[in-house]
Order: sequence, then C-alpha cells, then structure tokens
Amino acid sequence: MHRYIIKRLLMLIPVLICVSFVIYFIMDLAPGDPALIIAGDQATDEMIEKVREDYGFNDPLIIRYANYMKGLLKGDMGSSYVSKKDVWETYCQRFPATAKLSVAAIIVSLVLSLILGVYSAVNQNTWKDNVSVVLALLGLSMPQFWLGLLLIIAFALNLGWFPSGGDLGGWRSLVLPAITIGTNNAALMTRTTRSSMLDVIRQDYLCTARAKGVSEKKVIMHHALRNALIPIITIAGVQFAYILGGAVLVETVFAWPGVGRLTVDSINMRDIPMVTGCVVITTMIVCVVQLLVDILYAYVDPRIKAQYTK
Amino acid sequence: MAASTNQELVSKKYAKRSQMAEIWRNLKKNKGAIIGLVIVVLLVIMAIGAPLFLDYQKDIVSQNVSQRLQPPSFQHLFGTDHVGRDIFARVIWGARYSLPIGIVAVIVAVILGVTLGAVAGYYGGVVENVLMRFGDIFASIPHILLAIVVVSVLGQSTINLMIAVGVTSTPAFIRVSRAAVLTVRNQEYIEAARAIGMKDWQIILKHILPNALSPIVVQVTLRVGSAIISASSLCFLGLGIPAPAPEWGAMLSEGRKYIRDYSYMTLFPGLAIMITVLALNMLGDGLRDAMDPKMKR
Repeated sequence: MHRYIIKRLLMLIPVLICVSFVIYFIMDLAPGDPALIIAGDQATDEMIEKVREDYGFNDPLIIRYANYMKGLLKGDMGSSYVSKKDVWETYCQRFPATAKLSVAAIIVSLVLSLILGVYSAVNQNTWKDNVSVVLALLGLSMPQFWLGLLLIIAFALNLGWFPSGGDLGGWRSLVLPAITIGTNNAALMTRTTRSSMLDVIRQDYLCTARAKGVSEKKVIMHHALRNALIPIITIAGVQFAYILGGAVLVETVFAWPGVGRLTVDSINMRDIPMVTGCVVITTMIVCVVQLLVDILYAYVDPRIKAQYTK
Repeated sequence: MAASTNQELVSKKYAKRSQMAEIWRNLKKNKGAIIGLVIVVLLVIMAIGAPLFLDYQKDIVSQNVSQRLQPPSFQHLFGTDHVGRDIFARVIWGARYSLPIGIVAVIVAVILGVTLGAVAGYYGGVVENVLMRFGDIFASIPHILLAIVVVSVLGQSTINLMIAVGVTSTPAFIRVSRAAVLTVRNQEYIEAARAIGMKDWQIILKHILPNALSPIVVQVTLRVGSAIISASSLCFLGLGIPAPAPEWGAMLSEGRKYIRDYSYMTLFPGLAIMITVLALNMLGDGLRDAMDPKMKR
C-alpha cells in the first residue's frame, strides 16, 4: 500500500511538469504584451523596455520556462505581474473560500444523490423511479450558472432568505452557491448510484440476508449500498476535485472570492505566473484528491486493498 | 413442407433487419428517446428556418429603445431586453449558434480523440502509454479553465469557441475509442486482414472503427449537450461570440444586470439551453440502450 502511494506521488512530477509547460507555452502565445501591463498606462518606451529586460521577456521561451521551473523547484512560484504579490500566498488566501464551498457542495450532492438514487433503484420501473430519473436528467441538463441565477431570483431577491452573493453572510451566504453546484453534481451521482445499486440489488447474498430475517432497511442500507459504493465514491471524488479546482461559473454568479475567479481574472489580465501557478496547483489538488479516492477504495472494499499490496 | 415454410418465414423476418433497423426498432420503444429526437429535429428546423421569418438586422440586433424592458405579452412573447430587442426572436435565432457550435465542437473532438484513441488502442505498447498519459494530463486540467485559456489565446470568435470546446472534449473520446478498439483488436478477422497484407491505417479505418462505432456514437450524442453548455458558459463569462449576437449564454449574461426587476430576461435563454440539452441527453440515453441491450435496465 505504501509503495503504491509513493509510486502515485512520484507520477505526479511528470504530470505537473507537462501541465506547467503547456500552460506557460499557451499563455505565451496569447495576444497582449505583459510588459505593457506591468509598466502601466503612462509608461514611456524606455520604461517598457526596462521592464522587458528586468523580467527577461526578451529571452527565448524555453529560457524563461527554465527560469520559472528553477524557481518552482525552490518553492517559489513567482509573483503576479499585476498585483506584484506572491502567487502561492495569493492562492492560499483565496483557497479557504473555495474549499468551504466545495465541501458544502459535495455534502449537498451526496445527500441528494444517495437518497434519490437508492430510492429509485429500490422502486425500479415504478412511477417513483421514473420521477427520480427525470429529475436527475433535468439537473444534468441545466447550466450551472442559470440555476444559480434562478436561485438568486427566488431565494435572494423575492424571498430574501439568503444573500445573493459574496462571502460575508456566514453560513447563509454558502447555501445558494452550494445548492447550485450540489444539484448539478447530484444529477450525475444519482444516475451512478441508481445503476450501481441495480447491479447489486438482485444478487443472491441479498436474498440470503432477507432469508436470515434481516430487516429490509438494513438489507438495502448495509448489504446493498455498501457494495454499490465504489462507483459512487469514484464519481464523488472526481466531482469534488473539479469543484476544488475552480467552480468558475458559480463563483462568478455569486461573486464568491475563490480560486476559480482568481484564475479567470488572471487569464484576462495575461498574468502568466499567476495563471500557471493557479493551474499547476489546481492540477496537483485534482491528482491528490484522486489518489485519496483510490486509497479510500481500499477501506471500502478489502478486495481492492489486496490488489494494491500485491 | 410446413417446416421449410416456417424456416423461410423466419429467415425472411430476420434477413431484412440490418443493424441500423434493429437499433431504430429498439429506439422506437423508448418514449423518452423519441421525445428527445422530436425536440432535436424541431430545434434543427427552427435553426435552419429562422431566416425565413426573421431578418437578422431588423429583428435580432437593431435597437428600439422606446420598446425597452417590456414584460412578456402577446406582442412580445418573451418580453424585450434592455435595448428593446424582442427576446423571443433572439432566443429562436440563438439556436443558430448553440446547435452548430455544439455539433462542430464534438466533430473536432471526434476527429482528434478517435484518431489518437484508435492509434493508441491498435498499436499498444509505448505509443499507447505516451498517448494515454498525454490524455490524462489534459483531463486533469479542469475543462472550463482549459477552454478559457484556449479562447483567450485564440481570441473571441465562433470558430475559436468551437475549437476550445472541442479540444477540451477530446480526452473523453480518446478513452472511449481506445477501449472500443481494444475489444476488437485481437479478433481473428483483424488477423486475417493483416495476413492478406492490408496496411495498418486501412485495417483501422475499414475493420476496426466500424466495429467499435456504437460507444463512440453514444458518446457523441451525450457530448453535444455538454459542449453546448460549455460554449454558453464561456459566452456567459464574456469569452465567446462578440455582442450583439444572440447566443443564449451571452443573453443570460446581459440579463443578469437586470435580474432584480426584469428577471424574465434571464428566464427564457436559460430555458432554451436546458430544453436543448435535455432533448440531446434523452436521445443519447435512448441510443445507448438501443445499441447495447445489455446496458438496458
């Protein structure tokens, strides 16, 4: 198990190098001169030239990238062209807001999808099942930003129960964005839960459990759901990683001060170190969360643990 | 005698059933899929037919400030926006953006993804390893961020939007087509083709892809929907088609500024996106069940 984890962590290194290079390279192709942004509107030609010299913009791409990577190895992600602040620090300032939102959203989606998915699998091919399937399909087809706007219209502007945006209202400001992301993910996870439950629900050991006199509730919750959990955890993990990586749209709709917004703003400002830093850290988080999910499998299913130790 | 007629009847019954007919027969039984199909066809007709009834300059983009911010009525079914344009007409015209963008983006993704996936699956070994790791790396960058980066580099236009969304949908097709190719790669007829001296690319095109097609087709139907959502998300962020084009996401972004008092401006374009994507998802689900009866529950 330890060897497996170390192997996976080592595999992260080439991934991060590739991602950073791709983003650095693409951002370099982007139109707009970063020297102009750094020097400001009133800069003279000499000042702009000096900035180019200082920041090494006259060097070839590969040299600049090598310098960037040299800094990265020392733990220095550079500083923003625009705010001049350290990239890592800025990211860390913004990250708690995104983390809070992600956790709330994944709780919403887990609760919704487990209830709906199990309910619809247990009542397969009845009208109850059809209603849940249609609900999940609706949730899947709704653009997140639109759902966010509808919730704002209903619960913030008309009813006034929750604030329409920002992160200043305590838990109340968390409710609408978390439901927006949660509903969308729940749709996907409900479908997974349903089909995964249907896979196990006809198996013989459930019959055995019933024959032993185990209550129906316990059969479903304990015997069936536990075995149906692997695909659900997979999807939940992937979704969680993506929300952590940037719920760009929902953060925009709700003016949420998270890392998704930070990344988009930096892309618009051609702030190359900030963008590269954000995407690299985000990718790292996505990969680490996926690794954690894989480790979690081992605890849910001992058969998989046996495979890892092989 | 009786037995032979019976046999003839049976063989007649099944002889005419090609794979396509079989799929269509299965699809017809699925109410949801047929509803989805009907809506998709109507949307396509609406998109193609819009210029017959509407004039782009006069009805879609020209401003009429005296009519601004009118609530829905018989004259303006969906109301008018902040510069007096009829929202109903703009939503209809919007199908001319969203549908082609979704379809072309997926075509881009299919061309890139299926080529890479088929090559990876067919050759295996180092080629497969390199291509799949490459796909994994792309897949580990959140789609929307990657799409934003691509659009901001290429600049705002319809074509670039299609490319950005297409590129970000590619990893899914690499994975699906590789898996599909793997299932047929070691069949005897492939060995036979190799034995008679066919070239690799001929084998991939003529023998492998046609037999690995159904998961790819299902993926296409489902991906057009998510491509439409991605594209309208980019437009919502102001990174898509430049104004005043009536793209649904861009209309939502405009409506957002008036959300407090004129919420109908955000209602209808979003509804249009949802109905389109819902129809495509229903059709895609139905197709998946029709093509692979094992998947049906």
